[in-house]
Amino acid sequence: MKKNRKMLALLSLMLVVVLVAVGCGSTTDAPVTGDDKPSVAKDELIIASPSDAVSLDPHGTNDASSALVMKQIYETLVVQDENMDLKPGLATSWEKIDDLTFEFKLREGVKFHNGEDFTAKDVEFTLLRALKSDHIGHIVGPINSEAIEIIDDYTIRIGTSEPFAPLLAHLAHGASGMLNEKAVTEKGDDYGQHPVGTGPFMLANWSNGEFIELTRFDDHHSVKPEFKTMTFKAISEATNRTIELEIGSIDIANNVTPNEIKRIEDNSDLILLRDPSLGNNYIGFNLTKAPFDDVRVRQAINYALDVDTIVEAVYQGVGSPAAGALGPSVFAAHTGLEQYGYNVEKAKELMKEAGLENGFSTTIWVNDGNRQRMDIAEILQNQLQQINITTDVQVLEWGAYLENTSKGEHDMFILGWTTVTGDPDYGLYALFHSTQHGPAGNRTFYSNPKVDELLDSARRTADPAERERLYKEAQEIIRDEAPWIFVQDNENLVGIRNNISGLSLHPAGHHIFYNVSFK
Amino acid sequence: MHRYIFRRLLLMLPVMIGVTFIVFTMMYFTPGDPARIMLGESAPEDAVQRLREDMGLNDPFLMQFGRYVTNVARGDFGRSYTQRRPVATMIIDRFPTTLKLATWGVIVSIVIGIPTGIISATKQYSLFDNVSMVLALVGVSMPNFWQGLMMIIIFALNLRWFPASGFTTWKHIVLPAITLGTSSAAQITRMTRSSMLEVIRQDYIRTARAKGQVESVVINQHALKNALIPVVTVIGLSFGGLLGGAVLTESIFSIPGVGSLMIQAIRQRDYPVVQGGVLFIALSFSLVNLLVDILYAFIDPRIKAQYK
Repeated sequence: MKKNRKMLALLSLMLVVVLVAVGCGSTTDAPVTGDDKPSVAKDELIIASPSDAVSLDPHGTNDASSALVMKQIYETLVVQDENMDLKPGLATSWEKIDDLTFEFKLREGVKFHNGEDFTAKDVEFTLLRALKSDHIGHIVGPINSEAIEIIDDYTIRIGTSEPFAPLLAHLAHGASGMLNEKAVTEKGDDYGQHPVGTGPFMLANWSNGEFIELTRFDDHHSVKPEFKTMTFKAISEATNRTIELEIGSIDIANNVTPNEIKRIEDNSDLILLRDPSLGNNYIGFNLTKAPFDDVRVRQAINYALDVDTIVEAVYQGVGSPAAGALGPSVFAAHTGLEQYGYNVEKAKELMKEAGLENGFSTTIWVNDGNRQRMDIAEILQNQLQQINITTDVQVLEWGAYLENTSKGEHDMFILGWTTVTGDPDYGLYALFHSTQHGPAGNRTFYSNPKVDELLDSARRTADPAERERLYKEAQEIIRDEAPWIFVQDNENLVGIRNNISGLSLHPAGHHIFYNVSFK
Repeated sequence: MHRYIFRRLLLMLPVMIGVTFIVFTMMYFTPGDPARIMLGESAPEDAVQRLREDMGLNDPFLMQFGRYVTNVARGDFGRSYTQRRPVATMIIDRFPTTLKLATWGVIVSIVIGIPTGIISATKQYSLFDNVSMVLALVGVSMPNFWQGLMMIIIFALNLRWFPASGFTTWKHIVLPAITLGTSSAAQITRMTRSSMLEVIRQDYIRTARAKGQVESVVINQHALKNALIPVVTVIGLSFGGLLGGAVLTESIFSIPGVGSLMIQAIRQRDYPVVQGGVLFIALSFSLVNLLVDILYAFIDPRIKAQYK
């Protein structure tokens, strides 16, 4: 009928208009992403991360995504390899002058991306600026701003206000990346968008929120990357990162979550890389609130929770059950600690001793957006019933979570920690020292003078063997006093296409990509 | 008509101020310290306090609000706490993306929605009508997020027709636009259908037919024009809403639009960005509403007469 045909014509016309309009849409400059073909252009390495970098100024931020990109752009005086051993970086050697001071000899012939030479003046400038940073000042904090002395163009002395053994580890942290004074002063407040470093790659293009494109720095002093372009794409959903990896439009998918493991392992085009990381997950008690001030109750709860099953079920076997506060990759980690294990009888016994046979009610706080932690909370709720403890699970938004746990309003809470320097000081001090209660990191409000003493001494002692002894003792006490339920030591999970080789994972999650090659 | 428009534009000012005040208050009283969030849980407390001082966060509420409003009046929307970039730049950078996405989403919804609604109305109770009503129900019920993911799996992963994420070439727009368009399409279909049904029953339609007018003219000119008012409202509202950023779709397709910027800023308590973003959304929404009202005037002369 005429009416129908006209309608159909109208519809078709509209469809054609839409298709033409879509087809003639403008294209914007984009890096070669290889979206249209399953194999990727060999001169470009594409990496996907959960979020875009916030700033490429090492003093302007402390988040993981920015740190990952900055690792390719900047270099530090000292470097930690995958075993967290200290190696020369921009400093070729160092020597202890006295209890408070190190003298560093700097590598010669190093150029910044803007052509400037790297000298001791840049080191002084960088450290003084770092000390003033609100974001990472605490990482270089032990350095005394008055004790930075330039001896000559390639020799510099750096001193601390008190003996600080982990100094070298802190100088290996990304926050200590060396900056060029000229570049920083030129750009002022916008420096974070226009970084200049000495690393093998430099910034070429940054489309905020979408991708960062780095290009090879051909004047680098030692590294000769095989490919010209390194692109970081921000893809917030883990599933999407896996899908992109399968399609081949990315080469490396960072931060693979436990749910994605099977999909990657089952795909013959992909490989899953996994290595112990410096992070862990734990459940903390608020020791200022009864009955969590009673060590027997805390131990009982440790016995009542089947941690092994949690690691299997919630983390799909990623990582390993934790027995203490430090994961195995951290220096001086006590690997001989006994896990509490799953022993309901023992738990009941302890509760009886504490006079709490009939249990009590309590709450556990979790932050939103972390599926694994929420699952752990539910399992805890379930298993604690066995010792008559009724637990209410409360989910808080991240900002509120941090603030309210800092104030000590919680009963139990689930959180994690990453010992980014690989040094036990970073992994224990903020968490267990009595001066660090609340927002600084000690959210259990744990206080033990003996532990304080051990941690303070270990900070000052230069002798690694002595430090190890002190830290191990501290870990034993912490394990016995159980301010935490020790849950899981984490692993870094990275998915790669099977034509990628040469990637070795860094425990802190700050992987080096410039040594990667295509097979 | 011009006086009407001018008056409406003026009225937007109190709306902006009101919106700013409400959001400012909400952010101020929500727990969560931007300084602590920025520095992370492992930063020492004195560093956090120092940052709070630098950011002026310890000043009294009215002082902070007053400072903000004075700056905005001078065109300074401040800098992001996290990125240090000017807020205005950050939002303007992302706006074209959101605008493109919203526009194509609305086009898809109109292209699907209006013809389907018309046909459903003219062929009420036919197979076409029933099927499209069911599809409309499905479209509205399907979570955006899930639909987006399904489209990625089918069209990007399995068929390799379109890319799975990003927003650089025209191919990147298709899947997100369809995801966004289908839920609004469902609403538009139903609205068009019910509106048309009402109009078709009117006497003047009967008159037109009695005059011997061709049916297609009866439907498309006489009926449709009168039926469009509520439909235009729905379209305007959905477009205005989309300009605020289709957060879930942006997240699933990794599109750097205004929505994802806002969510990120809220989580990080990046107050300047949230404030700037809200002002911007309020402005766009008001302008879209104004445009819709002006459009009414062109569709319906009775309404035009009311605009004095």
